[in-house]
Amino acid sequence: MSSNGDPGYGTHPLPGPPPQAGEGNSLRSRQNLPPPSRGRAGVGAADARGSRETVVAAAVLVLVLVGVPWLNPGYRFLSVAISTGTVAITLYGLALLFGQAGIMSVGHAALMGVGAYTAAILSMRLGMGLWSALPFSMFMAALAAALIGLPALRVSGHHFVIITYAFCTLLAIVLTNGGSFTGGATGLDVEPVGTVLGINMDRLRNYYLLVIAALLASMLATYLISASGYGRTLRSIRENEPLARAVGINTGLHKVGAFMMSGAFAGAAGIFQAYYLRHISPTLYGGLPSLYIAMSVMLGGARTLYGPLGGAIIVNFLPEILNIDPVDSRIAYGAGLVAVILLLPRGMVDGLIGLYRWAARQRA
Amino acid sequence: MTEVAALEIAGLRKTFGGVVALAGVDITVPLDQILGIVGPNGSGKTTLFNVVTGVYRPTAGRVVWQGEDITGRPSYEIARKGLVRTFQQAMSFKGLSVQENVRIAWEHRRAVRKSRSAQWASPQAILGFVGLAGHERDVAGSLPFGNLRRLGLAVALAADPMLLLLDEPGAGLNDRETAELAELIRRLPGMGIGVCLIDHDMTLMHALCSRLVVLDFGSKIAEGPTAEVLNDAKVVEVYLGSEL
Repeated sequence: MSSNGDPGYGTHPLPGPPPQAGEGNSLRSRQNLPPPSRGRAGVGAADARGSRETVVAAAVLVLVLVGVPWLNPGYRFLSVAISTGTVAITLYGLALLFGQAGIMSVGHAALMGVGAYTAAILSMRLGMGLWSALPFSMFMAALAAALIGLPALRVSGHHFVIITYAFCTLLAIVLTNGGSFTGGATGLDVEPVGTVLGINMDRLRNYYLLVIAALLASMLATYLISASGYGRTLRSIRENEPLARAVGINTGLHKVGAFMMSGAFAGAAGIFQAYYLRHISPTLYGGLPSLYIAMSVMLGGARTLYGPLGGAIIVNFLPEILNIDPVDSRIAYGAGLVAVILLLPRGMVDGLIGLYRWAARQRA
Repeated sequence: MTEVAALEIAGLRKTFGGVVALAGVDITVPLDQILGIVGPNGSGKTTLFNVVTGVYRPTAGRVVWQGEDITGRPSYEIARKGLVRTFQQAMSFKGLSVQENVRIAWEHRRAVRKSRSAQWASPQAILGFVGLAGHERDVAGSLPFGNLRRLGLAVALAADPMLLLLDEPGAGLNDRETAELAELIRRLPGMGIGVCLIDHDMTLMHALCSRLVVLDFGSKIAEGPTAEVLNDAKVVEVYLGSEL
C-alpha cells in the first residue's frame, strides 16, 4: 500500500483537467479523469472527514450485502443477486485492466467461460469440487489471457479490443465442437457444491453469502492493487506508455501481467457462476455477454471502488427485478452509455456520490 | 583533459523508407562535461536520441554504453542501465498528481546504483531540486508549461540517470524560465549526472555546453569546443545563417 495515504481510488469527485478530445485513442481517453489522489489544498480536517466517510460507506455496503438474506428477499431476488455478484467479480478484474492500465477488453465473458469450463471438466473427470478447482479455474483463465495478450497486446487500443472479441467467438466455436469433452452445444452439467465447513452451500442463502464473500474479496484485492506501487505502474501505462518505457518500465510485460490478473478474476467469477447455474453452455460466454460486461464497467465507472458493483447492479440486477423489457433496457443502456461517457466520465456511481454531496451541501 | 567516454555512438545510421535520418554518425559523449547537439530541423537530432534510447532500431551502426553494446535493446532496459532521456513535447503522466509522476520513475529506478551514493533521498527531494515543492498534489496535466518542463526533468532524474539526454529542454519557455532551467542543468554534472542536450537556443547552448556537435542532413559536419564550432564557417552557413 502507498505510504502517503494516496489510494488508487479517491471517493471524492474532483475538478480535474477536462477530457482532452482527440488525444490518444478514444477508448483510453474517454475516461480521461482526474488523478486518483485528492488534489485538494485543505488537508487535515477534510482528509479525516473523507476517510471517516470512506469507512462508513464501506461498512454500510458490507452490512447491506451480507444482510440481504435476512430481509426475506425471496428466491428470485436471491438468484438474480447471485448472478449479479458473480458478474461483478469479473467487472472488478476488468476495472483493474481498463481503469488502471487503460486497456479495454471485450473478451471477459470468454475468460469467465474458461474458468467455468475448467471447473466443470475437473469436476466431471477428476471429481474435484469448487474449492480445489478454484485455483485451476483462475490459473487457466489467466493462462488464456496470456495466450491472447502476448501477441495481441503488441497492438494497442481498438486493435486489441477487436482481438479480444474474436477470442470470444473463437472460444464459443471451440466449445461447441469440443465433443463429449466440452459437451458440445448442450454444454456440461456441474455437480452441486455440497457442504463447506459444515455449511450446506446448496441452500441459496448460503451460496449467496459465499458469492458476496468472494465479491468483497475481489473488491479488497482491487483496492489494494490499485493503491500499491504496481497500481501506479499500471496507471503510468495508461497515462503515457512511451514515457513509462523511457523511465525503465517494461510496459509490454506489465500489460500482459495486468491482462492475466484481470483474467484470474474472471476465472474465479466463472467457477462461482458455474456452480450456481449447475449447467453451462457456450452461449453464456460469447460476444454478447462480453459486450455487456464491458458496458457495465463503463457505466458504473472503472476507476472508482464502487463503480463496477454499481455497473453490475444497473445492468444485471435492476432490469430483472424491475421486470423491464429486454428491448427497452437495451435502448436505455445505449442512451445511458453515451450520456455517461459525455457527462459522467468517472461513471454513474461517482455521479451519484457527487449528487449526494451536492445535496448534503445544500442542506448544510 | 581527462574525458570519461561513457556513451560511444559509432557509424549510426537510420533510414525511414528512402529518407536518411542519420547517415552514419560518430559521437562520443563524455560524462564530466555537457555536450550539446545542434542542427537545423530535420537534421536527425531527435532521431539520434530515439535510436540511442531504443525507441527505434538503427539501420546500421553501434551504440556502446560504458563498454556494453546496447544497440537495439528495448528502451526500458536502456533506461535501467542509467541512460535516461526526456522528450521534446514535455511529456508527463498527465492525469496523475505531480508526486505520483515522480514516484513512478522512482519506484522503477536503477537498482544497480548501490555503489554510488544516491543524489536524492526521496521523490520529494527531487521535486525540491527542480523547484516543484508545494505542487505535489497538482494534476500534472494542469501545470503551466514551465512547470511541466520541470516535472519532465524531475521524472527523468527520479529514474536515477548516469547520463541524461535532454531533447530541447528549453522549447516553449520564456527567457527567465530558460535561464532557471539552465541553472538546474548546469549543476547536474557536478552531482555525477552527465548531460547531453539538443536545443535550438544558441544562448542556452553557449551558456551550458563545453562542446558542440553539429548535425546536418543526418551527418556530423562539425565538432569541438563551443566557441570554435560557433565560429566555423560551415556551421554558420548551414545552420546559423549569415549573421552571428
